Parts: sequence; C-alpha cells; structure tokens
Amino acid sequence: MAIFTINKSFVISPEWTFVLYLTGILSEKVKLMIDRTGEQNPDIEQSLDIGDVRLSRQGDPDAYKRLIERHQQEIGKIMWRFSRNQTVHEELVQDVFVEAYISLATYKERAPFTHWLTRIATRVGYRYWKQKAREKKFERFSFEEWDRLTTESPEEIDSSRAAELLHNLLGQLPPRDRLVLTLRYLEGCDVVETAHRTGWTKSMVKVQAFRAKRKLQKLLPKQEVVV
Amino acid sequence: MKNNFLNTLIAKAQKEESPRVYVAEKVIAILAADDKQLERFWNRPFMWIAALSSAAAVAVAVLAVLLHNMWVGPLYEISEVISWVM
Repeated sequence: MAIFTINKSFVISPEWTFVLYLTGILSEKVKLMIDRTGEQNPDIEQSLDIGDVRLSRQGDPDAYKRLIERHQQEIGKIMWRFSRNQTVHEELVQDVFVEAYISLATYKERAPFTHWLTRIATRVGYRYWKQKAREKKFERFSFEEWDRLTTESPEEIDSSRAAELLHNLLGQLPPRDRLVLTLRYLEGCDVVETAHRTGWTKSMVKVQAFRAKRKLQKLLPKQEVVV
Repeated sequence: MKNNFLNTLIAKAQKEESPRVYVAEKVIAILAADDKQLERFWNRPFMWIAALSSAAAVAVAVLAVLLHNMWVGPLYEISEVISWVM
C-alpha cells in the first residue's frame, strides 16, 4: 500500500489522506506540500480524485466542484488546441466537465481520473472540429504569408504566433488528420497515448498519421514535411 | 532551413501558455439547472394526471378486449349452429 509522509512527522494511508482532506485538517498541509514540490504528488491526487468521484456519484456538488478546480487548467490546455477563440474555448472546457459528470458512472477507477478526463476532452474537441467541418467553417490561412514566413528566421516568431500558425495550417485538413497530427506533434503524445485518447488502435494511429502527413505535404508543396 | 521551419514552429507552439479558465461555478450551475428541470418535470400536476390517466386507459383497453372476447365467443357459436340448421 502506498504511504505518504507529511512533513516527516507522521505517516498516513491514501484513504485517510482523503478523509482528512475532506474534514479540512489536511488541506493546508497538502497545499503546502504541492507548493513546495511545485507539482502534485500523483498518488495523493489520485486518492483525492477517487474520493471526490465517489461523492459526486452520490450527488455531492461540492465534491464535483473540487474535481473541476483540480483539473480545469489541464483540460483548458488541451482544449486550447481545439479552439483559439476564448469564448469557444471556455465553452468546450465546460462541455468536457458536463459530459464527464454525465458519464461518471462509467469511470472504473482503474486508471487515473486525469487519463479518463483527457479522453473525454479529446472526444469533445474532435466533435467540435467535425461540426465546424460540416458547417464548412475553416480556419483562415494565408499560404502567401506562410511562404513569406519560411524565408524569415523562425526564431523571431513568438510561441503564441507559432501555435496560431500551426492551428490554422492544420485547420485546412479534415478533422481526422488534424486530430492525429495535433496529438502526435503538438501535444507530443506517443502512438500508445494517441490511441488511448482517440479510441483508435495503434496501427490505425500510425496509418492515419502517415496519411495526414502526406496531405500536409500536398498543402505545402514548397516545403518538405519532416516531423 | 525550410525543413526545420515546421519543427521550430512545433517546438515553439508546445511552449505556449494557454489562457487560464475558471469554469467550476458555471458547470455546477448548468448541472443544477438540469436537475431542477428534471424535478420540475415530475412536480407538474398535469404531468401526473396525464401519466395516471394513460395508465388507466391502458387497463380499460385490456379489460375491454377481454370482455369482448368473452361475449363474442358464445354468440359466434350460436351463429354457427343457426347457419348449420339453415
């Protein structure tokens, strides 16, 4: 059983971590520990998540609020790849948590809650892209500007502009190709993680990524796509 | 240089900070509104009257079919006998 040491003064189990957290005794200590290490201990976070999931299933809104507060920035980061419009972005994050609440009964507690949530986030984002494609709403992209930028030094482009350029470039592809390239290269997921998040098989991910790169190559004939 | 352009963009894009979001209150409000809507559905008196009268109508229809079969059976036998005599 995993055991956590808090301030080296006493030792408690994950179940008691959650109980103490709920009663408010431990909350400040957990916060302190998170602040000190700069990142959350995955074991503590997982036990807090599972406790809150169980309470949420029983209809406790405060428990679900705590879950949202713990994961909203992470989901926000994922959904920013799907829409760079702040209003749409916030709506997508909301949709993820509403959908997660509705499907909470299907969470089996075997994998971390975050993994399950990122899968829902990918599904919500992909559905948004498919809806946009059906409505024939494409991202604005200027090939002339792209060609001009390739002659300039890429170091001068800031991260936000680079992300926007890539977002708009990939927006010219069908949603399926866009999704696999976004996950593989922008999110930095490997084949296994991409398969997990999309619900596709590993070979499907590889084939889809290959096809998507070929389509991207056709979009950018002057440039060799090496990613 | 050109080959590296896309990779440089990807590396830069990965470092981008996404805007911070605070959706907890809104999500809880959406979920609470959905619950209230469901509650309101069942709190409407006409909804209950409609549900009960539908259940009563189904019971009456089943009873009517059973009675019809019960009464029509002997009549059918009499008509059969009459037609045989004629």
